[in-house]
Amino acid sequence: MTSSPNIISRKGPDLRRVFPVPAQPAPRNRLAAAAPWLVAACIVGYALFAGGYPATVVGFALIYAIFVSGLNIFMGLTAQVSFGQSAFAAVGGYASAILTTQYDWGWLPAMVAGIAAALAAAFAIGYPTLRLKGHYLSMATLAIGLIAHEIAVEWESVTMGYLGISGIPPIDIAGYELAGDRAILIMLSLCVAATVFAVSRIRSSRLGRAFAGLAGSEDAARALGIDVARYKLVSFLLAASFASFSGSLFVHVVGYVSPEVFSLHMVILSFTMLYVGGIGTVAGPVIGALVVSALPETFRAFRDYQDLAYGTALILLLIFAPRGLAGLFAALDRKPSSDRGKGGTAP
Amino acid sequence: MTACLDVRDATRSFGGLVAVNAVSFQVMPRSVTAVIGPNGAGKTTLFNLISGAIAPSSGRILFEGTDITREAPEAKAARGLIRTFQLVKLFADLSAVENVKVGFHLRSRGGLLAALLRPRRVRGMEAAIERRARELLDLVGLGAAADLPASALSYGQGRLLEVARALAAEPKLLMLDEPAAGLNADETARLSSLIRRIAEGGTAVLLIEHDMHLVMNTADDVVVVDFGKKIAQGAPDRIRQDPAVIAAYLG
Amino acid sequence: MDATLIGQSLVSGLGIGCVYGLIGIGFCVIYNASGIVNFAQGAFVMLGGMITHVLLVRGELPYGLAILLAVLIVALLGVAVERLVVRPLWNRNAPMFVMILATLAAQIVIERLTYLAIDDQPKTLPVFTDLPPVMLRGIAVNMQSLWIVAGSLAIVAALALFFKTTRTGKAMRACAINREAAALQGIPVHSMLALAFALSAGLGAVAGIMLTPTQYTAFDIGVPFAISGFIAAIIGGFGRPFGAFLGGLMLGVTQAGAILAFGAGMKTIVALSILLLFLFVRPSGILGPAK
Repeated sequence: MTSSPNIISRKGPDLRRVFPVPAQPAPRNRLAAAAPWLVAACIVGYALFAGGYPATVVGFALIYAIFVSGLNIFMGLTAQVSFGQSAFAAVGGYASAILTTQYDWGWLPAMVAGIAAALAAAFAIGYPTLRLKGHYLSMATLAIGLIAHEIAVEWESVTMGYLGISGIPPIDIAGYELAGDRAILIMLSLCVAATVFAVSRIRSSRLGRAFAGLAGSEDAARALGIDVARYKLVSFLLAASFASFSGSLFVHVVGYVSPEVFSLHMVILSFTMLYVGGIGTVAGPVIGALVVSALPETFRAFRDYQDLAYGTALILLLIFAPRGLAGLFAALDRKPSSDRGKGGTAP
Repeated sequence: MTACLDVRDATRSFGGLVAVNAVSFQVMPRSVTAVIGPNGAGKTTLFNLISGAIAPSSGRILFEGTDITREAPEAKAARGLIRTFQLVKLFADLSAVENVKVGFHLRSRGGLLAALLRPRRVRGMEAAIERRARELLDLVGLGAAADLPASALSYGQGRLLEVARALAAEPKLLMLDEPAAGLNADETARLSSLIRRIAEGGTAVLLIEHDMHLVMNTADDVVVVDFGKKIAQGAPDRIRQDPAVIAAYLG
Repeated sequence: MDATLIGQSLVSGLGIGCVYGLIGIGFCVIYNASGIVNFAQGAFVMLGGMITHVLLVRGELPYGLAILLAVLIVALLGVAVERLVVRPLWNRNAPMFVMILATLAAQIVIERLTYLAIDDQPKTLPVFTDLPPVMLRGIAVNMQSLWIVAGSLAIVAALALFFKTTRTGKAMRACAINREAAALQGIPVHSMLALAFALSAGLGAVAGIMLTPTQYTAFDIGVPFAISGFIAAIIGGFGRPFGAFLGGLMLGVTQAGAILAFGAGMKTIVALSILLLFLFVRPSGILGPAK
């Protein structure tokens, strides 16, 4: 920090008596703060124990948790909206699929190449639109989602069109292939943990504060020297790289990719997860992904009704419970208030 | 001595209406300058011209001798020109202390890598920001409200929070847009002493204010505008007796 | 390349361009009344053709009556979207991106309900008048294209008249210029919002109905048409209804040319490239920003 005119250390008149302030909120209840993580651990633990179908469902949920966490950086922390994150997942997924099956790349360089390609695409879309009002980006991203789908369908020589690409190898570490239910689940849990760690670090950093500032008021953020357009772009690029990462994980876990994987269905599902879990919170995307996936219909046959259910649920959440399950956990957090800090007489 | 802020013939018209007409004045370091004038005199437009929210039609604005006329608000902020807003613009979802911490943006460094790796240097910086943010809240009298969400504060408290947040950016020139609006007489007196102390600490202050009492007790120099034009400038005592000013306010 | 072919694709480009233009006008009408970009706009286009088809084929109504009823039903659905989805969020001062997201969710819900209520098969409608194509210097212009162009021009003229001369139309324009000032002057801003949804849903339905005989309609055609309509609105300068119509014509013609040059697979990619081009070079559109 630079040196500055020192105005802080001067002891002035006690202004606190003049500006009475309401009581401090009660200190956070540690158990309530841990509650979402306990719920998540229980679901993953059960899947690890049970294996088989539950493990598959929870595995998909964990991949979505990463995707939605990225979306949350852009929407929750930065208050911008993108309808085309599925495109970046598609870029990652197809890069991994094509490079590992047709060019014999290792999974890691393929994944990194996918993220680089997603970043390039996000930059091309984000740089012009993020300088403009929010709806330009919304529509441009919705368009790019459809374009990605179209390219996946039309560019048959590379993507195999509707047929899709199969035979994608599982991720291997030191020659050991992560192919079993439990091995995959553990690997995905570690990926989610790393994602959550990154999001929580970002949230409480200077970068996260810049996001929060421009989310709260763009004018005020600019007046404090925050380059709003630049930070929106950074946030968008972060979201795109998490999307690409999750797309790569998906194709390695499933061993197959087709255009249907990254459709508008994926977009609406991820929004529902984000709002169920609680937008803007670190745990929200993980809880939302696990809870929405655990609902019995999600990955079963009633595909026709799924989008209807998610769309309706999303509208209801937006109207009636915009904070999602995070609001519920916050309610648990309320404890009878202590005497501390009442009426502006705090020490 | 170079003026901190030098406004030269600033003019802005909207369609046919000239909101600010060839206004010139200077703000010296460590001084408090007030811009007063009847409603609709063009004060807020003048403020927006200086802060970069809108561009002047003609004229120049110099900050510490450098022409900043057409710089964006964030670029002007980076030079040390920090403003508050007439209608407070707080980050409503954040707590009071988090609001102030956002204000340290220009006084801290670090992007994605710093966030993820959080090396010792960054940890030290974060601790210093937290401490200084709370000190600033104490300074404006909101120390006890530090952990409340900004949306829970009263209107007057919100104004003070905005001042604390602006101070976090360690401005060379602090621009306050009607800081006393919504404050009672007692609070206004306290605000006046706070502004004096900010100026004595080395920060020039430029304020727009309706509250004559605050202006007369706080400002070193008063600029009076009416119908977009500067009609008088001088020390508060002289302004009080200036016939043009009396005419503008009574007429 | 032979001139007839170019002329032919110019004509079909103008036809589809009119449709994009009407959808673009729908975007502008709601945006001007509320600042909301309604992502459910495509659903109205899809429903226009779908409901007409159902009334005509299953309800066995006369064609004209089926069209009229379909437009009315879709306009009412527009009001329903406003009442059930937008209004509650508006009333609790939800951020703009939440409202945009809600309209996208509404699009998905309407799409899926249509799929469940009808089916996923493409539907078509008979042409309005079963006459042979008109020959203009060797270019065959089919009657439906003429219907689309004439119908769109009539609608645009009627809208211009509505905004210029009627009390309600003027009130809507006042809302577009400054909502708060309009409210202070006693204009019922809320009813204007409902009216804007009804109007733009009706416009979408008409566009969908005119288009269906030349192509087809299915439950999932909405989003691509909405995107084209949005691009039309951007080309025209977002918030300028008549600019949007012009933008639609430009987009339609460019797209038709691109199909001729590169093949049909490039249709969407060309549209996106035009969008990006405008966003990069001239985000305020050919006519400059509204207001």
